[in-house]
Amino acid sequence: MTGAAIAGLGMTELGKVYGRSSADLAAEAVRLAAADAGLELSELDGVLVSSGIKQDVGVNLASVLALGELGLLAQVNAFGATAGVMVAQAAQAIAAGAATAVACVFADTPLRPQRPAGSAWGAPRGGASQPRGLSGWGLASGAASPNILYALCARRHMERYGTTSAQLAEVAVAQRAWAAGNPLAAMREPLTTEGHQASRWIAEPLHLLDCCLVSNGAIAVVVTSAGRAKGLRRPPVHVWGYGQAHAPRQLQAGSAWGLVTPAVRSGPQAMAMAGIGVDDVDICELYDCYTYTVLVTLEDYGFCAKGEGGAFVGGGRLAPGGKLACNTGGGQLSAYYMWGMTPLSEAVIQARGDGGDRQAPRNDVILVSGNGGILEHHSTLVLSPHPGRAAA
Amino acid sequence: MTPGEFFPAVQRDEASAAFFDAAARGELLVWRCPRSGDVLGPQVRTCPSCGSASLEPVLASGRGTLVSWAVVHQAPVPTLAPAVPYVTGVVELDEGAWLMVRLVGCEGHELAAGTPVSVRFLPSGPPQDQPPGEVLVAFAPAAAR
Repeated sequence: MTGAAIAGLGMTELGKVYGRSSADLAAEAVRLAAADAGLELSELDGVLVSSGIKQDVGVNLASVLALGELGLLAQVNAFGATAGVMVAQAAQAIAAGAATAVACVFADTPLRPQRPAGSAWGAPRGGASQPRGLSGWGLASGAASPNILYALCARRHMERYGTTSAQLAEVAVAQRAWAAGNPLAAMREPLTTEGHQASRWIAEPLHLLDCCLVSNGAIAVVVTSAGRAKGLRRPPVHVWGYGQAHAPRQLQAGSAWGLVTPAVRSGPQAMAMAGIGVDDVDICELYDCYTYTVLVTLEDYGFCAKGEGGAFVGGGRLAPGGKLACNTGGGQLSAYYMWGMTPLSEAVIQARGDGGDRQAPRNDVILVSGNGGILEHHSTLVLSPHPGRAAA
Repeated sequence: MTPGEFFPAVQRDEASAAFFDAAARGELLVWRCPRSGDVLGPQVRTCPSCGSASLEPVLASGRGTLVSWAVVHQAPVPTLAPAVPYVTGVVELDEGAWLMVRLVGCEGHELAAGTPVSVRFLPSGPPQDQPPGEVLVAFAPAAAR
């Protein structure tokens, strides 16, 4: 138990939202989250800011919002692991007395009209310059985008453990079925394994439908002490545990890169703090930049043995009605791509019972993951509508 | 030349001059950590085993095995558009270092983890370019010619 709780959630319009800056969207998300919690903006005394692909929002957000004296203000970046890292940092600041109400916000606007989503990540920032030096050789060699690097990881798993593209499809198909119940999801039409297999190759072994969306928008949460949250407008979502772990890619004989991720340390850390094990988890909201990320995270968290992720996700296990509710809003594959705020926002919605058509049958214990870099950075949160295990 | 053997022109900088000079001579220059004995890729700056930053240049055999690969159909950057579809992968040198390289002389379906590979030295950019693009290090299945 951490003594912290999420008291507010703010989400702007997400997806093809054009003509607004990341800072403008971030400010709106913080306003919405504060209002959701029933707090005045002036009652926030901490802000943590996470910027996405465009890296264009920072601590100046406090000026945009005309905030007064703050006890905590920083930009945080552990890529896709950032949301969980921010919530943990907020919880620690609150426990230490440095702040009492901390907004954690992510904002990004990489999508442009008439430009393919795929160009958002690959395009060199700061203009097209000629490949130069060893990094230029690296670019010319061709592993020049997350799509390709994750394809290398997925292929490694396939070669080692016999994982198949059809098994990756199970993740995409299950999440699309959940997305059907999410009015905010970008892609809600039903998907079959055949449809997944027929989608074009991006980088074999990854099809288009193994890859996440790219979205514009912003999402914020407000973290307070559990005691304070109890008296606020919405029911608290308690932070039972948090963890983070990092393992920069090692390019050397014996490296486990691509097969084992830092989730293997972050998950147990968070679950130990929460006093739970994987059998206690009702809902998983797992970072899903790619279908493969979900599969390898399930293995590393211990839902199944290493190498058995492919079989584990089979038979609709993760789909509505399956044994393990996973990515209940459709995730970044089918709903919206807000880095770690996608799984975190859906976890808050499920913990409050606000899931509507997609509300999972049980929501006592929700496991949330964030993954960044190329399976190099990881964060985990354990959330619950209950203040402690006894009440659950 | 098949599309998969197209390389955009790469220019040297100060830090890469020795590597590209070696490649032009048909040699693969990597690093060796004198303290741990580990052989490390050309982009490595710190020995992961011992933390040493005092690495010495050493020539690698140019032989290795395939760790993983991807067949790229969607160019990640416009400069690679003429190259698709191409095969890119991770190679483990016999000396232990991993290199992220282009794989030529193959289409992807014939590959497996552990496939023996060997180094190739290929020109980058259009031949008429002034200054010409550097000679680049790539790999091919050892069976391919």
